[in-house]
Amino acid sequence: MVNVAVLIKQIIDIDQMKTDSEGKPILTGVPYRLENLSKNAIEAAVRIKEKQGGKVTGIIFGTEAGTSAMKESYAMGVDEGILITGYKGSNPQVTAKAILTYLRQIQFDIVILGDQSADSYTGMLPGLISAGLGIPLLGNANKIDIEGKVVRITQVGETENVEMEAEMPVVVSVTQEINEPRLPPVLQIMAAGRKPIRTEKFDGSFSKVSVLSNLAPKSERKRKVFEKVDEGVAEIVKVLKEEVR
Amino acid sequence: MKFLTLSDDINFLRQINTLISGKGEFDSVLIGDGDPKGLGSGVLFRVKKDTPFDAISEGILKMSKDYDYMVIGSTEIGREIAGYLSFKTGFYTATEIFYLDINGQKVHTKRFFFGGKTVIEEESDAKIITVAPGVVEARDLGSTPQMKDLDVGQSRIRITKFTSKAGGSVRLEDAKVIVSVGRGIGSKENIAKVEPLAKALNGEIAGSRPVCMDYGWLSEDRQVGLSGKKVSPKVYIALGISGQIQHIAGMRNSKTVIAINKDKNAPIFQECDYGIVGDIFTVVPKILEQLKQ
Repeated sequence: MVNVAVLIKQIIDIDQMKTDSEGKPILTGVPYRLENLSKNAIEAAVRIKEKQGGKVTGIIFGTEAGTSAMKESYAMGVDEGILITGYKGSNPQVTAKAILTYLRQIQFDIVILGDQSADSYTGMLPGLISAGLGIPLLGNANKIDIEGKVVRITQVGETENVEMEAEMPVVVSVTQEINEPRLPPVLQIMAAGRKPIRTEKFDGSFSKVSVLSNLAPKSERKRKVFEKVDEGVAEIVKVLKEEVR
Repeated sequence: MKFLTLSDDINFLRQINTLISGKGEFDSVLIGDGDPKGLGSGVLFRVKKDTPFDAISEGILKMSKDYDYMVIGSTEIGREIAGYLSFKTGFYTATEIFYLDINGQKVHTKRFFFGGKTVIEEESDAKIITVAPGVVEARDLGSTPQMKDLDVGQSRIRITKFTSKAGGSVRLEDAKVIVSVGRGIGSKENIAKVEPLAKALNGEIAGSRPVCMDYGWLSEDRQVGLSGKKVSPKVYIALGISGQIQHIAGMRNSKTVIAINKDKNAPIFQECDYGIVGDIFTVVPKILEQLKQ
């Protein structure tokens, strides 16, 4: 039996997000979705349960809107969920504090999470959670094997892959390549809608950050686009000869 | 002001040192091997490559009082160490920055947000900073540091094996010309058809996330984008790349961007200086032919 806690993030669907004429993000009406790597984390957790037995507990730090992400997680095979509300903006230290409060209340052998989320991309949470729990982190795994008490992973590094292992309890962060997240069948999605979600409120903020601006970067490209190939080729060859000489 | 810089890649460490040079004194931590000549640091603390991140973090914590800021390269182990230090010290951490200015006690940084769709400009009292790769060109900073070994801590993680990735270690960050292929290239075999262009321009071949990660037509270390390399060549040639924002985030600092794509509505044409709406396999040979003239 291996009990897994999986950390799940809900983000706005950034592919659908647009910016206005001043470059400000337009957030109203943009739907939420499960963060990409969270799906891989859930899939990895559920596969461990299917092989080893045990329970998968999902934890989300977000807002009330997180119930939909939790239901989707249930449909993928998460057994129980804790939705912590009170998210007020991206700050990995605050997120870690909120999650650690509830992680400490449940039983787990492995904590699984995505290595870097698709929206804020800080990549800080694996190290924060590992330090907070005082247990080893096996980071950026594209493969997880469990043998007795030992968890073995292959870490995807920049130029090399690294095999490493540690005894449970451990934190494992995962890459997108680790698996193909399942698409749950309709019946499971319907059943998931009826499952209860434990909701908790996190109050705490120690953000010492002032956001000066959050705007779409200005592109000052020339945008000389040719539909007549030969004209384009002539211009580009001229540019290349100037730049590369 | 005194900084401690860290990376597991000597070239990345040079970039970080270049970024902070002129802002104060600095020592560095290097995980693994590398030539320290011209690194500019006072002391270089060396760590064996097979040391787990928590043992390195504990070693840094022992001497963290000697430094005002810890500036860490955002690689996998760099982010793990930054997260660990962030928890243990409670210091706010500015992450994945590509711009850094320190005035008085305030740290002014810029980083991408919403998957690269926006840039967040922040002012904080961050003491730990992670730097995105490839944000500055590394310079020779003249002085060579005094060498010491980092007094690392304990770890329960056992590192058992390193395997080099296929493709070796290409340094896209240093390339003057990059010929980058997207899904529109169609197949792994087709990449060979555009390689002569890279060769003629003394450039490197790179690719988008689908090409490098999903289809494996190129090795991972050739991936340009938010989750890959951040590059800033003189010329970036995008072939069959649609121009998803995550890709743009990796090549935005290129000096001149050239795009060739069949789809005239491809977003890459909004992010290029020169573009041709057309078939890669017709256009590229024409460019090559005229380049030789």
